Amino acid sequence: MSKMGVVFHIQRFSIHDGPGIRTTVFLKSCAMSCFWCHNPEGRHPHPEIQYFQDRCIACGECVKACPNHAHEMQNGQHIFLRERCQASSECVETCYSNALELTGKHMRVEGIMEEVLRDRAFYESSNGGVTLSGGEPALQRDFARELLERCKGEGIHTAIETCGYSRWQDLEALLPVTDLIMMDIKLMTPDKHQVATGNSNQRILANARRLTLTDKPIIFRTPVVPTVNDSQEEIGKIVTFVRRLMDLRRKDGRGTGESEGIKYELLPFHKLASDKYFSLGLENKVSNIDPPTKEKMLELANVAKRSGVDARIR
Amino acid sequence: MPPTTLKEYTYLERIEKLRATKMRHTEEKWQQLGSIDMDDHAIILPPPESRKLVNVVSGSGIPMKDALFKEFVPESNHASGGFFGPRICGENFRALLEMHPVYVDPISSLAGGYMVNFMSYRDPAWNPDLDYSHLHEEQRKYKLHHGIGAVQHFCQDMTIGFELGWGGILEKIHQYRKVNTDDEAQDLYDGLENMVLGFRNWIGRNAVTAREMAEKEKHPQLRRNLIEMADINERLVTESPQTFREACQWMLWYQMAGKMYNMGGSLGRIDQFLYPYYERDKERVILTDEEAIFHLACHFVMDTSYTQLGGPDASGKDTTNALSYLVLEAAHRLKIPVNVGVCVGENVDPNLLKRGVAILFDANTGIPKFLGVDRTSEGFAKNGYPIELGRQRAYSGCHWCAIPGREYTVNDCVKINLAAVFEVAVRDMVSDQNIEPSVDELWRRYEKHLQRAVEVVAESLDFHMDHMYKVFPELHLDLLCHGPIEKGRDASHGGVEYYNLCVDGAGLATVADSFAALEQRIEKEERLSWDELMHLLETDWAGADGERARLMMKKVPRYGSGGSPADEYGVRISQTFTNFVKAKPTPKGFNMIPGIFSWAATILLGKDVGATPNGRHTKAPISHGPTPDPGFRKDAAPTALAIAVASVQPGYGNTAPMQIELDPGLSRNDEDLEKVADLIKTHFELGGTQINMNILDKKKLLEAHEDPSKHPDLIVRVTGFSAYFASLSPEMRQIVVDRIIS
Repeated sequence: MSKMGVVFHIQRFSIHDGPGIRTTVFLKSCAMSCFWCHNPEGRHPHPEIQYFQDRCIACGECVKACPNHAHEMQNGQHIFLRERCQASSECVETCYSNALELTGKHMRVEGIMEEVLRDRAFYESSNGGVTLSGGEPALQRDFARELLERCKGEGIHTAIETCGYSRWQDLEALLPVTDLIMMDIKLMTPDKHQVATGNSNQRILANARRLTLTDKPIIFRTPVVPTVNDSQEEIGKIVTFVRRLMDLRRKDGRGTGESEGIKYELLPFHKLASDKYFSLGLENKVSNIDPPTKEKMLELANVAKRSGVDARIR
Repeated sequence: MPPTTLKEYTYLERIEKLRATKMRHTEEKWQQLGSIDMDDHAIILPPPESRKLVNVVSGSGIPMKDALFKEFVPESNHASGGFFGPRICGENFRALLEMHPVYVDPISSLAGGYMVNFMSYRDPAWNPDLDYSHLHEEQRKYKLHHGIGAVQHFCQDMTIGFELGWGGILEKIHQYRKVNTDDEAQDLYDGLENMVLGFRNWIGRNAVTAREMAEKEKHPQLRRNLIEMADINERLVTESPQTFREACQWMLWYQMAGKMYNMGGSLGRIDQFLYPYYERDKERVILTDEEAIFHLACHFVMDTSYTQLGGPDASGKDTTNALSYLVLEAAHRLKIPVNVGVCVGENVDPNLLKRGVAILFDANTGIPKFLGVDRTSEGFAKNGYPIELGRQRAYSGCHWCAIPGREYTVNDCVKINLAAVFEVAVRDMVSDQNIEPSVDELWRRYEKHLQRAVEVVAESLDFHMDHMYKVFPELHLDLLCHGPIEKGRDASHGGVEYYNLCVDGAGLATVADSFAALEQRIEKEERLSWDELMHLLETDWAGADGERARLMMKKVPRYGSGGSPADEYGVRISQTFTNFVKAKPTPKGFNMIPGIFSWAATILLGKDVGATPNGRHTKAPISHGPTPDPGFRKDAAPTALAIAVASVQPGYGNTAPMQIELDPGLSRNDEDLEKVADLIKTHFELGGTQINMNILDKKKLLEAHEDPSKHPDLIVRVTGFSAYFASLSPEMRQIVVDRIIS
């Protein structure tokens, strides 16, 4: 029987997560806690219940269904007591208005492949494939590896999106079955990184160097988040680092193409995740942050260019 | 005062002025006529002093107004007050053309504008002596749009007109009048001759006006333009067009009269039949590409008809040419609801698709749409025709194709409301005391009733084919078809070579989701009994419990979600429908071709159906063509949609178009555009036949929904046709909004 993992979304026609038309499989669990995260439902390693208050019709069926008494009706209003919730999902099955949803399911590789293979024709016509994202896919190493292996076995191009914050051996284990690595470099200044993401960037930068020494195509990416890293100074530091990695790979004689198989992208922060924070009972710290303007993105791309790095704005 | 030099307008400035004029006309129509849930046919309102407003019903079933000339009263030849038959239809239409006000815009390179629908003068539209009450009971039982009285919806061959001109056509009528001396032929020739004479009068009067306006015009460039317009139209009264501009002008007269006569006049392969003129003028260095784009824009601003670009010739070789790109460019620059379809196929120039997608994302007007020509040609061949013939069918209407000048089709006129048939089957089963209700039993009854509905349509079509020529013949299209003049027979009565009658199913997702919901909730989970279900349907899910039950039924995985029982039902329903339509021709031997498409009638068809087990409310719109209902997947994955729609194609050459809405943010660069092009291509490779795609900004759409005047220029591809969002009824706007927000 194939391995089981916790997956919170399978996105078909994913066109911003690697080349061609792809299916992106989002694996739960991430050790970082970037306050602007687009996928906060991917942080926690276990399934969770999302509650969308505006959809609730206050039928009270969840109160009857929940073995842990996590739902109550008070004055005709539904109250979700998240601290009691074990995400056992009985309430979700009885919630026909979709106010309660389970995010994160235990799924076997076979089950995921069934969904992945539906779009095979589109991968073939567009040179697309499958991307594992998250959360952090390397944190479910064995499951991720088997899934990627199965894709390779089917002749499907594979990619991973990693925050880089994992043990090297976990990341390394995925490399033989991965055709493309997309990795975030969010900040170079260590203390800022610590504050913004909850972790040091040492391990990330070390993993970036190690990845550079392989022959895998890599796209380093920086999510541009106002108040965090949208300054010429911060981006300047990041692209200097990326430039060094590009040089490192050249000296090493590996890689192909102009940038020796290493590319760099700037991703503008967006606010699409606001609803998700509310639904998970998490504090939304990005409500006051506006996405960077086009001009700002171009300005930062120019900073990269001056350091000899062609930055693509996504 | 010193003399002022009037500056020359560029072509682009003239296009902008034309657009502004059209916007003014459109806004006036909104005020006077109300919502228009159908094509924007570029009609102009009659002058206020001769304007009379009458109540009519739009294509979606929403009441609207139509504007007529006060002073025009058609002759009647029947006690009912109606007028029936070729001669009087021709005479009346000629009289209308002869009194029709002229319209000359000095900014445009082409003269003419049309102001009324002749059809709105037909009262009654059907000759009551031709009784088909023997069909009424079952037509009503299944709520059939049965096709009796259907007009146009096939395609002329424009090259006939280009070759002969009005003088040549009249001569041809005179010549064959001597050959075919029977009454039916003579009656038809009377009608056709009147038609031509009407045309000539109308064109001639516009030429005179252009000449008069030129004399008064101060602006040298516009004066020159008006003189040219007068010269051209004086010639076109009898002669055939010689230049690209003349061909555009000839085509515009023909098209506008078609719109006026019976809303007909489909363009078809404009990049082919105009190409010789383009090529010749280019060789003689009397035409630039910019000018060609301008003439095309001048045409489109007055005629938004359906056009195919590129695609195979009979041998399969691609015909994409320089003009294909210029037509696309003209539509793009105009930014009005034009219906341009880009061919996509194995041998078709891939750059045409690429350019089409780029324009789609650049302008966000739902233009162009995409045509899976390989699948439609191959499918047509399955009717027993050579594939060469299938390749000649030209895209010329909302969702349809026809062989120019050689095929009669009643395309898009016959709708079998699958949801209404389903409702009959449900009632039939639950009222039978001798059986235990079950999903299997319901399927058996559904099949039985669907088969009968198809038979009733076939009998209705035979009745139509027997009598239509005596009621309201296709005089306008007959003129440019191969056969009607030669044989003295209307196209609806043996005039043309091929008869392939279109029979569309509608409401596929409504029925597929209903079957899946019943199977899961009643049979597998036993959460509901049949009695409870019937109560819920009859009370339209009333009360809090009813609403909860409705949501329960709605939550069952739906058609389009991928690999679900509802997906299987979708395929099964389409195949069963196809098998019934293809099992045999009509009793009188006419070939029928199945498609799945509901057009704007999705609202009207829905009003005929009570609540359905998929959680749909009573009288709510049924699902749109073969497209899954909004919310079919949480992520609305376009690939899932593309696979679902490809899986339910009837596959006999008529289409089941995919309706898809994408967010403008999806495409951030050329690479993303290529992925959208790959999505389109792959849908066709999987069996898809046509794509109507909108790139819609949710925020803008919601603002326009709340207050249409906020974005009067917002254009959406509603279904096969595109329209100003503000011109749609609130119901139709809601349908478009639902596709985006779910």
